[in-house]
Amino acid sequence: MASGYILNRGALTLGIHCQRVCRNISVTQVREKKRWMRAYTYLMEKKLKLEGPPPPKPRSQLPNWDYHAEVQAFSNRLHENFSLELLKTAFINPCYLQAEQERRRGLGVDSEAAALVLKDNIQLSSTGAALTKSFLTDWCRASFPSLPSEGVEGIVGHLTSLTVVAHVARNLGVEDLTMSAECPVPDDVIHHTFMAVIGALEKSSGVERTGYFLRDFLATQLIGKDLFDIWTVVNPMGLLVEELTKRNIALPEPRLIRAAGASTVLPLYFVGLYSDKKLLAQGPGETLVAAEEEAARVALRKIYGYTENRRPSDFSPPQQHQQPLITSVSSN
Amino acid sequence: MDGLQVGLQFLFTGLNPLQQILHCVLQWATFARSWFVIDARMQPPGKIATMCSVRLQGKHKPIYHAMSDCGDHVVVINTKQIAFSGNKWEQKVYSSHSGYPGGFKQVTAAQLHHKDPKAIVKLAVYGMLPRNLHRRTMMQRLHIFADDELPEDIQANLTEELPQPREIPRKLSEYTQEEIDAFPRLWTPPEDYKMK
Repeated sequence: MASGYILNRGALTLGIHCQRVCRNISVTQVREKKRWMRAYTYLMEKKLKLEGPPPPKPRSQLPNWDYHAEVQAFSNRLHENFSLELLKTAFINPCYLQAEQERRRGLGVDSEAAALVLKDNIQLSSTGAALTKSFLTDWCRASFPSLPSEGVEGIVGHLTSLTVVAHVARNLGVEDLTMSAECPVPDDVIHHTFMAVIGALEKSSGVERTGYFLRDFLATQLIGKDLFDIWTVVNPMGLLVEELTKRNIALPEPRLIRAAGASTVLPLYFVGLYSDKKLLAQGPGETLVAAEEEAARVALRKIYGYTENRRPSDFSPPQQHQQPLITSVSSN
Repeated sequence: MDGLQVGLQFLFTGLNPLQQILHCVLQWATFARSWFVIDARMQPPGKIATMCSVRLQGKHKPIYHAMSDCGDHVVVINTKQIAFSGNKWEQKVYSSHSGYPGGFKQVTAAQLHHKDPKAIVKLAVYGMLPRNLHRRTMMQRLHIFADDELPEDIQANLTEELPQPREIPRKLSEYTQEEIDAFPRLWTPPEDYKMK
């Protein structure tokens, strides 16, 4: 009986394979890689190659998910006092409501017996977006007093653009909490949801706290970025001439300062702009035209106070005695 | 090179993916190759050669790395008028072997210079560059001219003239009479004193 092999009772009835250790001892459970493992692994890889990676599942459908706890954690993580009903409303998108209605109709659920008592976030989103735009415009004007309105619009447009807001929202965990029809959540939906969250914050904690929130999460996206990457200016020289005429400074004259390898395929020119025989700015370029344009851009950056070595913006936490956020000339 | 100082400001900030145009421009300025010109008139060829080798390797730049190919071009003019110190014109020997038996040749610096006025500077720089495969490329970036005349394309490429390593002493004929008179005398010889 103890001599295993396939003549075992268990082997015949239950189909258990036994492995012999020595003549009298056999084991059913062995520590090695199982015989079926390789075939299974290859089959799964083949399937992956044929069908591609599995579609992403929303976090709410993965295990260990408690919506209420997550919403509270969201509020605590940001050190903000959200009213939880407003916050939950802020995460509900109209596309989700429509998808949910259709699903219920498809399942044949009576729309009166199990009514969908959920409100949209459209109103919160519009208030949030308006507040964001106005706050960021004011903050920009206060930080860069010499920047013209087109520049301010360009910066605010960049900060409230789909890519930047979606990037911030995804990294704050808004994507997991959003209720939307598709997964992964598209950029415009997450933008909409983030604005709704801002609207909810405004209603819960007031305009000032929302201001600090926007400054800390959206305005910081400007760090390390150059002005003319955000705000496209087609004719920097024309703009410079306008700025100088406004300030009654002599018009700029371009002069070649340095040149290297002019007859090679990799030339470099440094052009300086002089107004009234004093150097305004100098810039490098591949050709003379490019160098002059770059010099004009450098001059504009100096005039608008958006150089790399400017005093950094003030992102310190709000003081206890509630100083107003947007004082003039906070950074220059 | 000014491009380096302007361009380096971007190297130590954190680079963002959106910071494209400024980054491109500053990178172009930082890594551009400059063209230096050195006047070798009345200069010791060794000192000229050290200056050339430093700039050919790119060791004058803070972004130097041996594998970065960051060397610049150097143009040496007036090599016909280089000035060895001491008795090197007669005592310094340049040896070569043709590879065939009996082909060992030794020439003095004066003879070599007479035969080819560019050779002394060229051999000096060659000996000062690192002994690796980059040496030949660096020698191709060295342009030596025996006299003042440069071809137009090289003339157009030049960026900077380097200061000469040795201060050329003035000949007596180049001093004005006032300077000669103003020079302090140790003693005035009597009128019938015979100078040797």
